[in-house]
Amino acid sequence: MTETDTYYIERCLDGHPDDFRYIVRRYQAVLLAHLAGKLGNKDRAEEAAQESLVRAYFNMNKLQKPESFFSWLLGIADRVAKEHQRKDMLHQQREAIRSFSAEAAGPELSQDYGLEAAIAELPESYRRVVLLRYYGEHSCSQVAEQLDMPLGTVTKTLSRAYAMLRKSLQQKEETQVSEV
Amino acid sequence: MNCAECKEILVAYLEGLLAEPQKQAVTDHLKDCRSCQAEVKQLTNLQERLVSNGRTVAQSDLEDEVLNRIVREQNVRLKAADKAAAGLKLRRIIMKSPTTKLAAAAAIIIAVLIGIHQFGSGTVTLADVIEPILNARTMIFDVIIGDEETGTAMNETIVGQTIRRTISNIPGMTMIIDLASSKMLVLNDTDNSAGYVDIQGTVKERHQSYVEFLRQVITKLKDNHQELGEQEIDGRKAVVFEARGHNQGVKIWADPKTALPIRIELTLGQMFSIMKNFQINPQIDDSLVSMDVPAGYTLDKTEFDMTDVTEQDFIESLRIWAKVMRDGTFPEEIGTENAMKQMPLLGEKMMALNLPEPEASQMGMNFGKGMIFHQILETGGGQWHYAGNGVKLGDADKAIFWYCPQGSETYRVIYGDLTVKDV
Repeated sequence: MTETDTYYIERCLDGHPDDFRYIVRRYQAVLLAHLAGKLGNKDRAEEAAQESLVRAYFNMNKLQKPESFFSWLLGIADRVAKEHQRKDMLHQQREAIRSFSAEAAGPELSQDYGLEAAIAELPESYRRVVLLRYYGEHSCSQVAEQLDMPLGTVTKTLSRAYAMLRKSLQQKEETQVSEV
Repeated sequence: MNCAECKEILVAYLEGLLAEPQKQAVTDHLKDCRSCQAEVKQLTNLQERLVSNGRTVAQSDLEDEVLNRIVREQNVRLKAADKAAAGLKLRRIIMKSPTTKLAAAAAIIIAVLIGIHQFGSGTVTLADVIEPILNARTMIFDVIIGDEETGTAMNETIVGQTIRRTISNIPGMTMIIDLASSKMLVLNDTDNSAGYVDIQGTVKERHQSYVEFLRQVITKLKDNHQELGEQEIDGRKAVVFEARGHNQGVKIWADPKTALPIRIELTLGQMFSIMKNFQINPQIDDSLVSMDVPAGYTLDKTEFDMTDVTEQDFIESLRIWAKVMRDGTFPEEIGTENAMKQMPLLGEKMMALNLPEPEASQMGMNFGKGMIFHQILETGGGQWHYAGNGVKLGDADKAIFWYCPQGSETYRVIYGDLTVKDV
């Protein structure tokens, strides 16, 4: 697991598809967290994460900069999540019409993924760092190395991300309280 | 240290990344500052929640499922003959490995022969009906080996004795063939490498005697062609001629006013091909067919030797086809059209095998040579039959291929275990 993304990508492109498993190992938790935050459900997040990884595999030859694989993968996951959300929405609208209920509810967000949902709403540069630190289980210096940024920037980014997360979680709790 | 300074480096502090004096300063500040203590508590709560969520998520394991899905998807794609994807992949492979350059070279060599035959045969009935093509010094056209939908397409630019060629399922490769010196220059546009292939010997002899063969065909077919009247093709009116011989047939659509060819269908033995999109005597820059390595390209030192082609090469290519490309069974069909379609697959399989360079090169050469043997047999008017579909490599009871070289009275029979007998 010490090799770079670029190394594994080249290996895959050179006809060793099995090496893609190291990429999966490296990013599955990160992807799942990201998608759980967006889709609010574990099963759907797993399905979307698998789809994102498979899609990444088959599009690797279009990846211009293998060193920014992670950001690229998150971009794919965002598109997959959007497609799933659209499908869900259509499904719900259809259900709503069928049951003559005027209300088409938004995707039900389980309480468990409130944190991930807040992470999913962070701007890209903060989201990457938080995801890698906690879901990729990287240390700060590993994050720094992976994203090619100074260690100080990592802690500063985390610091700001925490502030944003706390604010967003607080707001969510408040709306839930007021809804009750 | 004041609160603002403390909060600024609090995360680094909690991560244990601060150097001693700074660390001590924060510790000291925290002792006395309630507000910062509260901040630490909030931060640690959030971090703990993140760590615990991270651990929960990390328990899911997608690895096997993702790899299974990739394999399934890959199979679907292979079956659907996703040419674009295979082409792209092949281009990456060709770029990376001299081994697969060889595999590609073998494919190209197969195509060289077709080119020689195509060009020559084109002249066969054109000699009867179309004057301009006989005298054309330059010509550009497309050749499709196989039928229009599934065949492999080549684009040909011909200037006198030289041919510049590209092939649809090997993107990024250009070949320049000089029939006069029996040499071919292969240019790989993806990494700007170049290589020479020697096509003297058997190939050259065949080329020379093929001219003789052509003369015979011309004589034979000249009095035997049919005029099929006018037909519409690709939205144009055309006059149609057809000529059939023992082992070959030609059908030509030509413009009734200019007598220039619109489409030529050629059958040679069991091989079918289409020539179309003709340009007769276009202006062609000489540099396009120059045998010199273009500026900016590096010459690969390895020279490919194609001087000797035997039955043993053909047997070896059948072995490769069954063992390497098909997991131990012989293919449904063989022949030039199928060999060309299978080239990207051979490239992939050779990469997957990870053979040492010399062995892999040998394999690429063997496959190419074997296919040339078959093509010579076909165009030389020999009789052959293939019955290997589904037969397992090593099955000594089943005959997979038999042929009768021209002029021979006995058949050579190749069995599933690749032994040969005279019958």
